Amino acid sequence: MVGLWLNIDYAAFVALFCIGLYVVLAKQNLIKKLLGLNIMETAVFAFIVTSGMVDFGAAPIISDDTTGPFASPLPHALILTGIVVALSITALALSLIVEIYRRCGTIEADELKGVE
Amino acid sequence: MELWLPLAAAVPLVAGALTPAIARRHPGLARPWALAVAAWVLAAAVQLTRRVVLEGPFSYPLGGWARPYGIELRFDEFSAVAVVIAMVAGLVLVYSGPYMRLALRATRLPWYYSLLLINLGGLVGFVTTGDLFNLFVFMEIVSVSSYALVAVAGGRIAPLAAFKYLMAGAVSSALILFCIGVLHALTGTLNMADIAARLATAEAPAPILLALAGLTAGLLVKSALFPMHAWLPDAHASAPSPVSAMLSALVVKVGVFGLLRVYPMFAAVDVVRLAPMYEILAWLGALSIVAGALLALFQQDIKLMLAYSTISNIGYIVLGIGLANELGMTGAGIHIANHAIIKATLFLAAGAIIHQTGRRTLHALRGVGHVMPWTCLALAVGVFSIVGLPPTVGFPGKWYLALGALEAGRPGFAVVLLAGAVLIFVYYIRILNAFYFRSPSEVGMLSVREAPVAMLLPVLVLAALCLAGGLLGRWPAMLIGPAIARLPGGG
Repeated sequence: MVGLWLNIDYAAFVALFCIGLYVVLAKQNLIKKLLGLNIMETAVFAFIVTSGMVDFGAAPIISDDTTGPFASPLPHALILTGIVVALSITALALSLIVEIYRRCGTIEADELKGVE
Repeated sequence: MELWLPLAAAVPLVAGALTPAIARRHPGLARPWALAVAAWVLAAAVQLTRRVVLEGPFSYPLGGWARPYGIELRFDEFSAVAVVIAMVAGLVLVYSGPYMRLALRATRLPWYYSLLLINLGGLVGFVTTGDLFNLFVFMEIVSVSSYALVAVAGGRIAPLAAFKYLMAGAVSSALILFCIGVLHALTGTLNMADIAARLATAEAPAPILLALAGLTAGLLVKSALFPMHAWLPDAHASAPSPVSAMLSALVVKVGVFGLLRVYPMFAAVDVVRLAPMYEILAWLGALSIVAGALLALFQQDIKLMLAYSTISNIGYIVLGIGLANELGMTGAGIHIANHAIIKATLFLAAGAIIHQTGRRTLHALRGVGHVMPWTCLALAVGVFSIVGLPPTVGFPGKWYLALGALEAGRPGFAVVLLAGAVLIFVYYIRILNAFYFRSPSEVGMLSVREAPVAMLLPVLVLAALCLAGGLLGRWPAMLIGPAIARLPGGG
């Protein structure tokens, strides 16, 4: 159990990921599904960013008066890329939802089944 | 030349981004521009493949940063599939001219070509990278451009199909990124060869198992294996036909090709065994072969039928990987490229028929074989290829798979493979029967004309490749032999 408390942040992100997945699967409204997806993505980003944390680490900027240890800067760079991807997916999904609403008059998944 | 490798992926990406700007003044330029870029990518892919045949795999450090610190582009024998990617994309671009002129508004055409080029660049990048995060980025470039391409022409159900595709794709991407994060936290590196070396000495089995299972599940959703296939049929059937050809021939392969890329990372791990994972893959593949074929049997819409047959064929590839011996994996490797050629033939031929007749169900299309003889001939060649009859390109892959199943001591899987082929034969015989041997159900069918040359030519070239690829079937198998030997379980 001690291990769990040490990694409570990881456990929280996994829980957040599962909440997002539940929203994607269980909600009928397409916008809510998209929100669930964003919760999942945020959980992944938070997980990767915290994995770069080093105990008592300084920001990894080299100057004369800083000495190590430094936090790993790589996860931040990865997540910047990840956020761009997530943003483009969200923008595309929102425009698709607008298009679906124009054509079918609803954005509830269960009602859309009848439209098909 | 050293720069062929980075430019092979970078040129189509940049050219794709520039397309709308170029086409702003001269809208007619978009297609020639895209064609020129695709031809350039094909030339680069052929050059790179020549080099890999002569010298073996080689790398290029991006930005001059040596691995494991920088991003490593790596061209090995599997990457030679870039030739097929560039070829299919080029033929799809030729075909798109007359097809998309009717399907799209003129102002949207440059955006369509832009998306196709970005998709091509993502695919080439995906097969040539040696860096795990880079793999994810290229996968996302391919996926996001595909979501947009499904909906590009509008239509009644296309936006909804694209949304379903987007949700499935984005959830699996989130899972894959999560697992990449786990691997990075474990090893502190993102270079795939370096991760493999460092995982070999790792001691914690739980996170490695989590990463392996998550990556597998995410990639299987991307490749639409049977229980995770729900997004595929609507997306592939409601997209414009050239887009269906790209998606079904190339984009779904991202998932299975990704499996071939990530599994070697876990090869040397002591604490986690790969064998149970392979066992699961083999069973899922077998299930997918039968289920995809059965579902295809009940379709009336010709494009839905082809979409379900993709699920069946992905099953063949995954079964081959799951067999985990040299013959099975060789079969899987060459079926990735061969199925791309076959499915592009089928979707483009079906698209030409739908374009000329305006009908898409088997019942309405009766007798079309007599008014569109060349297109239907190409379709027939594609049909015989996908069944896997000997002189065609579908045969070598399935032959290796069957041998692999027997060698693994699992004749049951060989039976499933043959049963799948028979089922596929049944539903394609329905197509040929309707097209050639039934009298037209509608009078309008008699006045239908053959497809224009720009659409007919790519279809005929692909059909010729279906025949030639079967006769030269040993070459791809010999080419990927060294890469197969390096795979875990393949040696």
